[in-house]
Amino acid sequence: MRKYFEIAKILFKAQLVYRFDVFFNALFTVAKIVFAYIVWGVIFESNTTVAGFTLSTMLSYYVISSFLSQIEMSDGITGEISGRIRDGSFSKFMVIPSNTFLHFLWQNIGSTLFYMIFNFFAAVIWIFIFKIDFALTTDIAIIFSSLLLISLGLFFMVQLSYFIGILTFKFKNVWLFNLIKGNIAAFVTGSLVPLVLLPMGVVDVMKFFPFYYVTYLPSMMLIGRNIDEFIVGIIVLSIYILVFIIINISTYNFLRKKYDGVGI
Amino acid sequence: MRRNLRFIWILFKLKLSHLMVFRLSFFGAFFADGILFLIQLLVFSAIYGNVDMIGNWNQAQMIIFIGTFSLINAISMVLAFFGINQLPNKIKSGALDHYLTKPISPLLRLSFESIDLGSIPLIVLAMVLIAYGISISGIILTFTSVAGYIVLVILMTILWYDVELIIRTIPFFVVSGTAITRVEELLELCFRVPGILFKGVYKIVFYFILPYGIMATVPTQFISNTITTWELAYGVGIVLLFTVFTIWLWRFGVSHYKSASS
Repeated sequence: MRKYFEIAKILFKAQLVYRFDVFFNALFTVAKIVFAYIVWGVIFESNTTVAGFTLSTMLSYYVISSFLSQIEMSDGITGEISGRIRDGSFSKFMVIPSNTFLHFLWQNIGSTLFYMIFNFFAAVIWIFIFKIDFALTTDIAIIFSSLLLISLGLFFMVQLSYFIGILTFKFKNVWLFNLIKGNIAAFVTGSLVPLVLLPMGVVDVMKFFPFYYVTYLPSMMLIGRNIDEFIVGIIVLSIYILVFIIINISTYNFLRKKYDGVGI
Repeated sequence: MRRNLRFIWILFKLKLSHLMVFRLSFFGAFFADGILFLIQLLVFSAIYGNVDMIGNWNQAQMIIFIGTFSLINAISMVLAFFGINQLPNKIKSGALDHYLTKPISPLLRLSFESIDLGSIPLIVLAMVLIAYGISISGIILTFTSVAGYIVLVILMTILWYDVELIIRTIPFFVVSGTAITRVEELLELCFRVPGILFKGVYKIVFYFILPYGIMATVPTQFISNTITTWELAYGVGIVLLFTVFTIWLWRFGVSHYKSASS
């Protein structure tokens, strides 16, 4: 276990080199809040509530969901695995004494923790700049429940990104899969618009998929809504996580035989 | 002019041969942008499911807006985006030498050497969406409104090209320009927000400094008969201003180009 902590520590420190990326990541958090402020500010000029949201709760939702979507950085795993398989340097992960999935998971944890600090401050500063009446729940149990959901959700996204990454063994180039996954995930996780605005039937279908519980449900819980969905969220995410553990192990063991170690 | 057109035709044929070899890449841009297009539509449909108006725009106007920016985006993708997108790397690696030493305009070659036919289906989709928006809005089309709309879409596509090129000329003057695409990714968020929603300082920024706010908004306002003469003149004026500035900046940048390893 200690070696994985070391991997996380190295990646945490390595982010210091990529200052511009860190700056832009935080700027994206801010940009999402600013555009939510512009669009919803206009909408709430002629409406007092929309789907049960006031302007304050809507902006609070965007602050939390923007923060969560920016710390969901598993895309990098797909990029690195794909790049390394293509240039032949993936061989390293087959010979070092660490589990490949855990290696990428802890790399992701290390870099995410670093970005989390800056994104957190970016979000907090803009709460004060926009004078948002931040509607965060004060119930400690709900906050911890949300943190549990967030952790499981991020873990699931790492699994999904890892799965797309190792598909490079078979498909040679997975950038298109990754791009499509990223665009769809942005919508179905509720980081573009709260899912409660969608027709009820669509939302009910979304509850069968894990994305609903990655960003949307924790954000809603943190503003004091949808608390009753917590247990369902834990169950659904746990099932998907277990399924993907099996899928990832079997896919990796099957496809790694196609890798010849000299790049594509 | 005829010589330039013939040159563009040759570049197009070369690119077509290249695309036949890499068939997945052929529709890559279409899939990526097509999904963004659908998501944008879903986002605003979700909002309009709960409110009647956003600002003073109804759902039909918003559909025309989404169709218009998808159209501008798709035309840009087909014609010039993938060409000028390579400019920062060519400056960094010194590969721009090969463009500057040939007896043809380097900017012309750079702009049209990576024509991408994969986004053509997106143009068709965008046009269908615009037609749908017009049909449910009750707008009565005239020859003038259609012709004016087409001219404005062409002008705004030029404006988008200008802004893309301005951003990509920065590496002429700085050591590294690798973060430029990230800057643009951020700025393009503004393109997806209707300009009518910007107020105060945001209006100044997104109507004048980074005119993403007017690109799809002005043609939409024109075809839905909600544009004032002043707004129309401003839109056309900004295109002229930015085009003149872009040409000047390109020439100024080339004069600062230090060849390989610059």
